[in-house]
Amino acid sequence: MTDTVFDPGLQPERTLLAWRRTCLAFGVASAVATRFTLAAIGPAAFVVGLFGVALAGLAYGLVWHRYRRAHAALTRLQRLEHGAVPMLLASGCGVLLGLACGVYVVTRALGVQ
Amino acid sequence: MVMDGEAEHGDATEPVGRRFPRRVYREGAEPDPRFSLANERTFLAWLRTALALFAAGVALEALELPIPPGLRLTAAGVFIAIGLVACLQAWLGWANTERALRRSRPLPGFGAGAIVMAGLSVAIVLVVVGLAI
Repeated sequence: MTDTVFDPGLQPERTLLAWRRTCLAFGVASAVATRFTLAAIGPAAFVVGLFGVALAGLAYGLVWHRYRRAHAALTRLQRLEHGAVPMLLASGCGVLLGLACGVYVVTRALGVQ
Repeated sequence: MVMDGEAEHGDATEPVGRRFPRRVYREGAEPDPRFSLANERTFLAWLRTALALFAAGVALEALELPIPPGLRLTAAGVFIAIGLVACLQAWLGWANTERALRRSRPLPGFGAGAIVMAGLSVAIVLVVVGLAI
């Protein structure tokens, strides 16, 4: 851990922090979703919510490896080597979460009426 | 480390390898990595924006804001719809921008931003009107 940083503007480090913020946001969204759906669908909400929080926690850990990989490639080759699979997965999680929110809003609105 | 010269950014003959998606990485040459990292952070910012929009939509219903149910459901639906647009923009905007960077072309426009802003305006007007009546 005595490497020098690749960029004085700390771009790789800022990107790591941006990933971590996003993972935290997903984790909080899962926890809050559990809280709001527990009464309606019972233990299933807890299981799905826990899975979401665990996934966000796993991603929080994995982005560290992404950062180390980027740092190693930048200091060795002056270029990035990683692809965008995690980004596609994160987008997919976002879309799934959005669809789940849509289902929740519609069912709740119909239920209240 | 400094990469101010074009010559230091790699060349078109570098191997694409297994980088995903190929439709992005098979194009052009490796750009300044700082630009790619900035593009990645923009992607993440769009994703967090999407989460905030989903939260707004859900909060309208979950907290039962005192506005007519029809207006409330419509506003919540708009929030969630533009959140989905933000998710798609995150991915497609990242891919299009990265490709433009690799090909040294102008960056793509901001059409999805306009859609999200228009939707946000509609949703806010619906909530304000609902609270007023």
